[in-house]
Amino acid sequence: MTAALMSEESSSAAPAPTPDARIVLRNASRWYGNVVAVNDVSCALGPGITGVLGPNGAGKSTVLNMMAGLLSPSAGEVLVNGKPTVGRPEVYKTLALVPEREAVHSFLTGYEFVRMSARLQNIPDFDAATKRAVALVEMEGAQDRPVGTYSKGMRQRIKIAGAMVHQPDILLLDEPFNGMDPRQRLQMMGVMRRLAAEGRTIVISSHILEELNDLATNVLVMVSGRLAASGHFREIRRLMTDRPHTFTIRSSDDRVLAAALLADPSVFGVELTPAGIVLRTADRGALTRHLPRTARTANVRLLEIRPTDESLESVFSYLVER
Amino acid sequence: MTAPIDSTVLWLTWRQLFAKRRLYLSAAFALAPVAISLVFRFTSNDLANASVPFLTSLLREIVVGTLLPIAALVFGTTAFGGEIDDGTLVYLLVKPLARWRVVLTKYVVATACTLAVMIPAIVLPWLVVRNNDLPWQFTLAFLAGATVGAVVYCAIFLALGLTTRRALVIGLIYVIGLEIVWSRLISGTKSLSVREFAIAVTKEVGNGAVQITDAVVKMSTVWTMGTILLVGAIAIAIRSLSRYEIAERL
Repeated sequence: MTAALMSEESSSAAPAPTPDARIVLRNASRWYGNVVAVNDVSCALGPGITGVLGPNGAGKSTVLNMMAGLLSPSAGEVLVNGKPTVGRPEVYKTLALVPEREAVHSFLTGYEFVRMSARLQNIPDFDAATKRAVALVEMEGAQDRPVGTYSKGMRQRIKIAGAMVHQPDILLLDEPFNGMDPRQRLQMMGVMRRLAAEGRTIVISSHILEELNDLATNVLVMVSGRLAASGHFREIRRLMTDRPHTFTIRSSDDRVLAAALLADPSVFGVELTPAGIVLRTADRGALTRHLPRTARTANVRLLEIRPTDESLESVFSYLVER
Repeated sequence: MTAPIDSTVLWLTWRQLFAKRRLYLSAAFALAPVAISLVFRFTSNDLANASVPFLTSLLREIVVGTLLPIAALVFGTTAFGGEIDDGTLVYLLVKPLARWRVVLTKYVVATACTLAVMIPAIVLPWLVVRNNDLPWQFTLAFLAGATVGAVVYCAIFLALGLTTRRALVIGLIYVIGLEIVWSRLISGTKSLSVREFAIAVTKEVGNGAVQITDAVVKMSTVWTMGTILLVGAIAIAIRSLSRYEIAERL
C-alpha cells in the first residue's frame, strides 16, 4: 500500500472495497452539538496492525468508539464485518475495545475483572480463559490485588487482558501504551505482533509517532477530525521527516553566509532577520553536511544553528496543509 | 432462550452497591429503627398500651416513610450512576449482552439491596417490642408495603440515574417535595406518591392487625398507578441505556 496525503477532494472519495477489509468507514463524520469531532473519514482496514496517529483532540477516540459501536456516526457509515456496529451486542463476540479512560472497577481484583469479561463473553471454561489472558499480559503476580492499587501501566495491561480474554478477531486499543514503562511497552508490542501474525485486525491509537514505530504496518494520520494521511508506516514517516525544515542560524556575517547558502541546492529559502538567518530546506541531512563547508569557504564563523519547528504538532499541521 | 437476568452483572452490581462505605451506611439504616425501639422499650412507663402506637408510627413514618425512599434512592441511582461517572460502564456495553438485560439485572439488585435494608428495619423493632397486640401479621403487613414501595421506587430511581447526572438531588426533591409535603397538603397528589402506595398496601394486608385509621389511597389506584410508574420507569431506563453513547471529553 502506498502512502497518500489527503486533499479536500480525495478524502471524500470512499476507498475501493478491499476483499479482506474487516472495518470500513465510509464518509464517517461525528459531531457533538456544534463541535465536529470527526469529519468525513473513509478507510478500510484489514488484518494486521493499523496505527491511528494524531495529536490530542484529533478525533482518534471518536473514530475508535464509532468502530466499537459506542457512538453512532452523525453522517456516513461505519461497518465491521460488513454490518453497522451500533445496537448489535453480538458484534462483541468478535470485537473488543480497550478504552482510553483508565477507570476499571477498583474494588475488583485483576483476576476478577478479567474473569468477569470471560463470563460476560459466555466462555464455557472461563477460568482457563482468564488465566491465559492474565498470563498474556504478564500480570499473574498482581492478579489477586484490587485494581484500585494498580499503577497506570498495570491497569492498561489488565484492561488488555479483559479485552483479549475471548480472543477476538478485531481488537481496538485507544492509547494502550499510556503509562507503561519501556519494558512493559516492548512486551506488549510483542503481544500485539503475535496477535497480528495470527491474522487478527488490530487498531492502535497514539499521539506519539515513535510508539507505533516498527509496530504498525499501516497508519492513518488524523488532524482536527480529518484523515490527513494514510499508508505504510515508513512512507508516513518519510513524509513527516522529509518535509521542509526551518532552521535559525546565527553567524559572524549573516549576509555573506546567506548569499553563499543560496547556492546550495538543498536550500530553497533564505531570509535575513534581526535574529539571524531563517533557512528552509527539504533535506536536512544534506544541509547539515553542507553547512559547515559553505561557512568555511565563505569565511564566516557559525555561532548557532537551531531547528525552528520540531514539535509533532507542526509535523501534523504540515501534513494537513499540503 | 436467555434469562432476563445476567448472573455476572448481578454479581458485579452487588459488589458495587455493597462497597465498603455504602455497606456501613446500609447497616446504620437497617439498625437505626431497632436502636430507637430499644430506647423505647427500656424507658417507656406504659409498655403494654404504648407499644402499638409506638411501633405503628415508627414503621409508618420513619421506616416506610423515610428510610425506604432514601435507601431506594441510594441503591437505585448508584446502580448505574457510579459507572457512568467513572466510565466503567463501557466494560458492560462492549459485551455480547442485550442492554435491556443489563437494566433488568441492575434493577433486581437495587430492589434486593433496598429490601435487605428494609427487612431488618421492620422485623427487628417488632421483635424488641412485640406483645399480644402486635401479632406477626403486623410485621408482614409492613413488609408487604415496603416491598411494593421498593419495587416501584427502585424503578423510578434507576431510570433517574440513567437519564440525569443529578439523580440524587432530583430524587431527594421528589421524595421530600412530592411525597412528604405535597401529598399532605394536596390529597390528589397521593395517587402519585409511592410512599402512599406502600401505606395503602400495609393497611390492606394488615387487615385490622395494623391500625391505620386515616384515609389511604384505594388499592385499585395503587395497582394501576404503581404498574404505570414501574413499567414506564423501566421502559425509560432501557431506552436510555440502549441509546447511551460514550461522551467524548473535547
